[in-house]
Amino acid sequence: MLVGAFACAHTPQLLIRPPTEDRDLVLRVHTAFARVKERLAALRPDVIAIIAGDHIEAFFLDAVPALAVYVGTECAGTFGPYRYRLPIHEPLARAILEQGVERGFDLLYTQAARLDYAFYVPLHFTMPEPAVPVVPLHVNVYLPPQPTPRRCHEWGAALGEMLRARPERVVLMASGGMSHFPGTDRYASPDVDYDRQLLDRLQGGRGRELAALTGEELDKTGNVELRTWITLLGAVGDARAQVYCYEPSWHHGNAVVEWPL
Amino acid sequence: MSGAPHYPFPPARAYRLNRCLYAIKSDSTFCARFLADPHAAGAEMDLSEAERAALSPLDRDALVRLGGHPYLVFMADLRLRMARDPAALEYF
Repeated sequence: MLVGAFACAHTPQLLIRPPTEDRDLVLRVHTAFARVKERLAALRPDVIAIIAGDHIEAFFLDAVPALAVYVGTECAGTFGPYRYRLPIHEPLARAILEQGVERGFDLLYTQAARLDYAFYVPLHFTMPEPAVPVVPLHVNVYLPPQPTPRRCHEWGAALGEMLRARPERVVLMASGGMSHFPGTDRYASPDVDYDRQLLDRLQGGRGRELAALTGEELDKTGNVELRTWITLLGAVGDARAQVYCYEPSWHHGNAVVEWPL
Repeated sequence: MSGAPHYPFPPARAYRLNRCLYAIKSDSTFCARFLADPHAAGAEMDLSEAERAALSPLDRDALVRLGGHPYLVFMADLRLRMARDPAALEYF
């Protein structure tokens, strides 16, 4: 069953803070992560299915999947001095893969891909104790042509149906967002107004509308990573978002959100 | 503002440059070699003179112009800064 849904920023400066970042802002985002961790403790998930965009870590230009499921016994990666290793919930991972393919999604699967920090950062801050296994789900966000928002939403709707039919208590978590433009000349100008307008729509339970966004609009507003949220929105339907925080830094719209189900 | 996308399709001619940025970002032993001798590390990756010049000192605009993926440029730069001065960072 699907017992919870969250979206969390994963910008690396929340984990490793350079002097360019406002420490108080970073700590306020950590406070929002701590609320998610408390909620997870209350929701008692058996597994966290985490949707993130691999940041050209597991999948370089040698092979670029649109959607992927990690189906190993575990997944591991590094970021700076951090070394992480998380068990994968194999029965759920395989069910998502097999039923997903059955439903017409041509998924890539991997038993060994490195786990990018985009998956790790939210889990570093929110993993309940004792820790639960995960199912990492990749959506290509940075290497064009990415899957369309509509396709992400359809995949999320299929995921929602599959998860609701499962015996495990599953929390779905989207990692990423909101507006930011790493490596471009717009890095210091995130589109904060666009983010706030999106959050208004999500608080009003209008997440479905995001399936109609275009890839061009996501790129223009620094929201290519919103594809992970849109996937999750396919699963949560018209649930209203509860915004734990929206903390725009000089380069990044940091949001932490729950969709109470 | 131009209508060009912030994250364009990575041109195939820039594959080697992107592979080098990827190695700086994701391969700590290559990153260490690059820090020790950027020119030799660039040669190891079969980069052109212009690509090697854009990498050291790292010139974001030039790298993107040469077809470097903006995210790879960003993260390679951040990794190099993390490796050069780890004590400047706060770890949570």
